[in-house]
Amino acid sequence: MTTAKASPAAPEAEFDLFSGEVLLDPFPYYRELRDLGPVVYLTRYDLYGLFRYDQVRGALSDWETFSSAQGVALNPIANAAWQNSILCMDPPKHRTIRKVFDDALRPKYIRQVAGDLEQQAEALVDELMERGEFDGVQDFAQRLPVNVVMDLVGFPRDEGRDKILGWAINSFNFGGPPGERQTASLPIAQAQLEYLLTNARPENLLPDSFGQIVYAAADRGEISSEEAVTMMLGYANAGLDTTINAVGSVLWLLATNPDQWQAICQDPKLIPSAFLEGIRMESPAQFFSRVTTRDVEIGETTIPAGSRVLHSYGSANRDERHYPEPDRFDVRRNPVDTVAFDWGVHTCPGRTLASMEGHALLGALARRASTIQPAGEPTRIVNSITRGWHTLPLRIS
Amino acid sequence: MHVEIDHVLCVGYGVCVQSAPEVFAINDDGESAVTRPDVDGELESVTRLAEVSCPMQAVRIS
Repeated sequence: MTTAKASPAAPEAEFDLFSGEVLLDPFPYYRELRDLGPVVYLTRYDLYGLFRYDQVRGALSDWETFSSAQGVALNPIANAAWQNSILCMDPPKHRTIRKVFDDALRPKYIRQVAGDLEQQAEALVDELMERGEFDGVQDFAQRLPVNVVMDLVGFPRDEGRDKILGWAINSFNFGGPPGERQTASLPIAQAQLEYLLTNARPENLLPDSFGQIVYAAADRGEISSEEAVTMMLGYANAGLDTTINAVGSVLWLLATNPDQWQAICQDPKLIPSAFLEGIRMESPAQFFSRVTTRDVEIGETTIPAGSRVLHSYGSANRDERHYPEPDRFDVRRNPVDTVAFDWGVHTCPGRTLASMEGHALLGALARRASTIQPAGEPTRIVNSITRGWHTLPLRIS
Repeated sequence: MHVEIDHVLCVGYGVCVQSAPEVFAINDDGESAVTRPDVDGELESVTRLAEVSCPMQAVRIS
């Protein structure tokens, strides 16, 4: 009988990472968790956790070790519901479904939409300049992404869109850890699925839309019709609140850092960098998870095979080991290696679309407005996975 | 250093362009392309950044 030296257990953290209080400002907690070690164990949730940039990017790059096939959500109900989702597959199956997304969201096609986005953004900003005071979320961040994404997915231009938007943010709580928020999300997730199964039929969807493309793929037998509906849901749910929250967060950062706002007004070529910097600091998706397929050593700890490992995009993006002065909003930083869009095979397929929307909106604002300021206290969305503002009173002139 | 893009892997996100606009650009087809295949001196570090940051690992440096 061998007496192998036991691997030290990962340093433990007992506090509730998903409590309302922590979610409002998780960054001091993330720092503590990073300082504990390259991997930690969250006792309250029976989850290993990766909070440093190197380990998060490493895990995302190594899908063979850190598998998505057992789901990436933080509870078994969501992982069962999302089984047909592209998020919860590994290659080679992942590649087949991913190809449908990539073909539909191919940056070269999305870039053809660019001119129209800019016009829409200009019209929106003109409207808001007349008003002077507005809500950065309701009146700005929510307007363009919702119309664009809904059109691209192909949902009919009717009142269903408001319903779908209302349900979308719930999907992030649905994917969160077990608890009140997750339990409350169940009927809403169910309602959204049922609605789509009934109403998002090929005959209702906009022509040449993503929805039509995936139904055609189902007709050809490349995917099942459940996979088709799940893909539409995935596209909508993943593409709405993330972009809305990204735009809202960047707006807030600019309004509260006037020197950075001045910098982009003087040099609008900084806008792509500013958008990336905004999502680095306030990553719209803060967490997902993977399951290890083998024993894996991180630092001095061996994570056993079959362990669910949480990874924090939000923490990795503020890791002082990777980004100097990580809590400083610097529009010149251009953090192209941010993990905010995930990494490798699961890289956000909507990255180009989201970026184009963000650039169009910020560009229109920078051309028209000379100042942007907070006009009251913003209120935060409290959600297990997504981070953003619920209301954001602003004044522009 | 010599720079190429593996067009089988490339999806056209344009992270390379954002990292090193002197070396990469979006072409007329809306895909990423190398505009400066031979890079030296000051451009080497942003080219390496592009290589490392491409989510699809499609930038090839030799």
